[in-house]
Order: sequence, then structure tokens, then C-alpha cells
Amino acid sequence: TTALTQGLERVPDQLGYLVICDGAVLASAGDLENDERTATVLAGLVATACGLRLPRGHQPPFRRLSVVFGDHSLLVTASAQKLFVVKRQNRTQEPATA
Amino acid sequence: EEETKRLLEPAASPPSKVLNGAEQSYHSLPAARTDEQAMLSSILAKTAINIIDVSAADSQGMEQHEYMDRARQYSTRLAMLSSNLTHWKKLPLLPSLTNQPHQVLASDPVPFADLQQVSRIAAYAFSALSQIRVDAKEELVVQFGIP
Repeated sequence: TTALTQGLERVPDQLGYLVICDGAVLASAGDLENDERTATVLAGLVATACGLRLPRGHQPPFRRLSVVFGDHSLLVTASAQKLFVVKRQNRTQEPATA
Repeated sequence: EEETKRLLEPAASPPSKVLNGAEQSYHSLPAARTDEQAMLSSILAKTAINIIDVSAADSQGMEQHEYMDRARQYSTRLAMLSSNLTHWKKLPLLPSLTNQPHQVLASDPVPFADLQQVSRIAAYAFSALSQIRVDAKEELVVQFGIP
């Protein structure tokens, strides 16, 4: 489990993470500690996104799903039957709109 | 089915010997007494529902082939039920998006310009969809030349 979480701890601007396997929390920390509800919603989003058939059939169709909020983002990916979620602080990158 | 038989019959009355000793007071305080009895029986009934009395289960005198029959019966029933459990079927369908989840999650966030573009396109699409309407120009029912 430490190998699983070490990489997630080092994600830049990380505010929390979650690793889900078969609907059970394998590891979690920070704002996403034991947040199975968020994981369920994001797993649904991943399933929906996978259902969209794009003209250029890449397999897999995407590597990461980003749900961007005002000050933070939830990044999701899936690997080896595990769902990985990381919450990251958004860097202020709003350009000065004149 | 015998497997789901309850310890108590749902309409079972409380044991009469409990009532006999308190016959006198029963008449003096009818309401309180029946309330208490009802409460006790409901507690008893609730407990009985949650208990499976293994020792009372009729397992004696079962032949080998009866066990086999039951096992077959139960597995068909399970197979029938599990076909309806779509939730369990969905779980293993998690796609494999990457072999390096940590790197993928640690890589640069989506550029702000891309987000703006996506938001703009979504707003256009929403606006276009909201302007779709039926423009009624002709009569819906047309009379043919009926003599």
C-alpha cells in the first residue's frame, strides 16, 4: 500500500487522494479521506466518458478525467481495476481579461 | 418455506401464565397493562425475527440425495437472483486507462485556454439547443376531397 500512496503524496498541489478497488477504499488521505460518495460519482463519470465513441478510435479513449472547479480540480484515472482520484489545488492561471 | 419459518407465529399471544398472576391488577389498570404487554410482545417478535434457531432446524433424517437436491435447488435460485444483480456485474467493468496512474495524475493540469474553449463551445451548444422550436405553418389535419 505504501508504494501505492507514495506517488500520490508527491502529486503537485495535492489536497487529498483516494484509491478504490471493487467499491472499497484501499487508501485515502486529506480532503478525500474515505470519500466513497465522490468516488462513486467519479466512477460513473469515467464509465460515461468511456461510452462516448470518438471518430478516431483511441484505445483507451483517454488517460485522465479532470473535473475542474473554481479553486480545485478532481483528477481521475483507472488502472489495474483500481480507481485513482486526486484533488489538486488550481494554480491561479486566469489571464487578465481586458 | 421451512428455511424462513419464524420462531414465533406473528399473531402468537403472550404466555397465559404471565397474565394469571396479575389477574387483579389487570382489571384495575387495563390500558397500562395492555400497553406493556403489547410492547413486550413486539420486542419478543422483533428478537425472534432476527434469530435463526439452528438447533430447531430439521436437519435430521436427511438422506444424501436430499442434500444434493437442496444444493442444486439453492444454486439455481442463486443463479436466478444473481442475474438480476446488475450492480455486481458493473463493478468489474472498470476500464484500464493507463499503466502509470501516478504519473498521469501528477502531470500538468488542463490549460486554462482549453477549459475556456470547452466552456464556450458548451455554451454555444446550449444556446443552439434552447432555440430549437416547432414552427407550425400548416394545418396538422388535412381534409381530403370527401364527396
